[in-house]
Amino acid sequence: MNYIRFIQDNIPLILEYTKAHFSLVLWAVLISLVLWVPVGVLITRSEKWANRVLGIANTIFCIPSLSLFAVMVTIPFLGLGRRSALVALVLYAMMPLVRNVYQGVKVVDKSVIEAARGMGMNYWRILWEIQLPLATPVIFAGFRITVVMTTGIAAIATYIGERNLGRLISEGLTRFNIEMIVDGALLIAFIAIALDTMLGALEKKIVPRGLRVHRGH
Amino acid sequence: MIELREVTKVYKGQTVPAVDRLSLKIPEGETCVFVGPSGCGKSTTLRMINRMIEPTSGTILINNKDIRESDPDRLRMGIGYVIQQIGLLPHRTVAENIAIVPRLYGWPKEKIRKRVDELLELIGLDPETTRDKYPSQLSGGQMQRVGVARAMAVDPPIMLMDEPFGAVDPIARNYLQDEFLRLQREMRKTICFVTHDINEAIKMGDRIAIFNKGRLVQYGTPHEILTRPANEFVSDFIGYDRVVKKLGLYRVADLAGPAGCVAREGELPEIGRLMREKESDVAFLVDAHGRPCGFLTTEDIGGMGDEISPQSLMQKALGRRGAFAQREMVLRDALSLMLEYDTEYLGVLNGGDLAGVITLSAIRKHSCRKEGE
Amino acid sequence: MNWMRFQDALFHRAPAALAVHILMVLISVVVAVVISVPLGVVLTRPRFRRYGFIVLNVLNMMQTIPGLAIVALAMPLLGLGLKPTIVALVVQGLLPIARNTIAGLYGVNADVKEAALGMGMPAKKILYEVELPLAMPIILAGIRTSAVYVVSVGTLAAYIGGGGLGDLILTGLNMFWSEFLIVGAGLGAVLAIALDRALAYLEYRITPPGMSSE
Repeated sequence: MNYIRFIQDNIPLILEYTKAHFSLVLWAVLISLVLWVPVGVLITRSEKWANRVLGIANTIFCIPSLSLFAVMVTIPFLGLGRRSALVALVLYAMMPLVRNVYQGVKVVDKSVIEAARGMGMNYWRILWEIQLPLATPVIFAGFRITVVMTTGIAAIATYIGERNLGRLISEGLTRFNIEMIVDGALLIAFIAIALDTMLGALEKKIVPRGLRVHRGH
Repeated sequence: MIELREVTKVYKGQTVPAVDRLSLKIPEGETCVFVGPSGCGKSTTLRMINRMIEPTSGTILINNKDIRESDPDRLRMGIGYVIQQIGLLPHRTVAENIAIVPRLYGWPKEKIRKRVDELLELIGLDPETTRDKYPSQLSGGQMQRVGVARAMAVDPPIMLMDEPFGAVDPIARNYLQDEFLRLQREMRKTICFVTHDINEAIKMGDRIAIFNKGRLVQYGTPHEILTRPANEFVSDFIGYDRVVKKLGLYRVADLAGPAGCVAREGELPEIGRLMREKESDVAFLVDAHGRPCGFLTTEDIGGMGDEISPQSLMQKALGRRGAFAQREMVLRDALSLMLEYDTEYLGVLNGGDLAGVITLSAIRKHSCRKEGE
Repeated sequence: MNWMRFQDALFHRAPAALAVHILMVLISVVVAVVISVPLGVVLTRPRFRRYGFIVLNVLNMMQTIPGLAIVALAMPLLGLGLKPTIVALVVQGLLPIARNTIAGLYGVNADVKEAALGMGMPAKKILYEVELPLAMPIILAGIRTSAVYVVSVGTLAAYIGGGGLGDLILTGLNMFWSEFLIVGAGLGAVLAIALDRALAYLEYRITPPGMSSE
């Protein structure tokens, strides 16, 4: 099969692209976590701000990815390349991360918070010992969406100068190299599905223990 | 002692105060029940005592110290707090839940461990099997008990309880109430207890504060409130059965008289004479071991009892085998027992032994008695 | 910023590109709805219920495949132009709608269906008068997700000759003309956001008043 031979012949190139791809994804996800998790926690303190921030996140999320990359490129400080790609990816991650952190923290049973407050636990203790642990499943679900989504959109960053797996598709299309296109597309699809499945399996494992056990077990 | 002085709370965006110039003193070691319809301000009042809600105006003193002088978190650490939904941390074990406040105080691990076991035993749960369970593995009643244990962890002198038994089924509730009364007899904590159930208030309270529309309508002992309702609202709230309710406050031992006449089976033929001799309207029949197994009244022997066969007398007496009340039984239940057996007398028992007699007329006189008589 | 070039992009290139873009989004979403709603209905009928969950899982998995990969795969199979683009977009658009149709119909309270059945409503009537209206907000939410997504993936269509706003972006990137980038990207963003808001409004209007708290 030509498709397999293409991969065999281009292993070093594919490895290089994969490395570049994941370094972009890794940085984007890291920055997103550092930035958006605190934002998600912060907006639980004000409904007004929560609506505003979530509205912005929602709107950004609607913007077509190629559009967002293209707009970034026109901003002088960002230009073609990694900086634009990172900013765009971090902006996309705002929606799933901020929303899930916010919902996860908000959804914690009010009576639990009330009881904890009544026992004299302060805001930070309640956040750290109760709200965040109980919100981990929802936050992790947001993290999973972010990772899978970022991996997919990162491929498009090839059009603004990133040399990653998306390049197999863009190069393949310009050179009319069918093997290159198909292999690139299948590789990206496979990575996305594999990541999603792996993180999904992990997601099932991180439910706090007390929420997993039930009467009779 | 807890004292509220002219406390008012107006919630943001509302003009009608939720609590209106409330003044109240709760003596040390007593249980004070706040009772009233929903939205009457009873929960708001309770939550102002541990500063979960800040009053708009007025002062709250605990042991003559203004609570605004202490840091809210420190204040709350020193006050037990139990709510209807309990609010156990679902991701922490029973032991970890109980240990929350001791941990806030920074107790050493060993001391916490000991205290947790002690509390679990106190509330009637086996430490070995319960300690490491998660709340989701407990029944509603067990969760509620763990909630109470958690509030008592550092042995706070004051406990605030907001409908603590409201979410459990009636049988478990009754049981938890009895348990809690037993504990409170030993602990003598100062307790504020919120409920919307007047029966619970009468049962649990040394004092009852009746609320309506943010105001204190009446404050007094259960007896005072049942005997002299301050106004129509209170008497409506108590209900038409307030006389019966008052009977729930007193026990059989309070009204029991001596059992005048005790007879064995062999003495049945002469029972009429025996009763006349002892000037007693009721004769108890005891078995060979001296245990009571029924009784007869003057009505049964029809004045000339000697003509009725001993067998039918025996049957009549044995038919009242169940018409006995323990000394601790409340008068309300004794009255119910009398109606059930269609009799005006009940034998009074102390354990298995006959300890006296209680009559319908004594109960009637007691319930008509006014305060101070 | 070159003003002439900006005018050229906005007034000469953009109208046609926008028209093509709207056209391909509309066609794709309509075709996707026509395929996936009946599919969702069939898969939730008692006879096929077993397969519903399986299909739901497969759809969830396919959803994670990046849009670029799907567009790229359409080219070798169907060639260049608008047709393969629309096929790729339909495939992309199908997933959220089918998923939400199935989830929405599964989500209809069993008691409500039971009550309707108890009153003697035939199965077809229950579907049209009870199940679909109750599931409609969720189905519409799926259509909304799908539409926004299709607008986004539609910009990539330029790379397989599908035209649309992606053409402007492509030109802009190739020539380093930021005017073309701003016009193409800006219109794409506006189109997506406008569609999202419009469908959100529809969703809000169509939700039965008693259910709006959710």
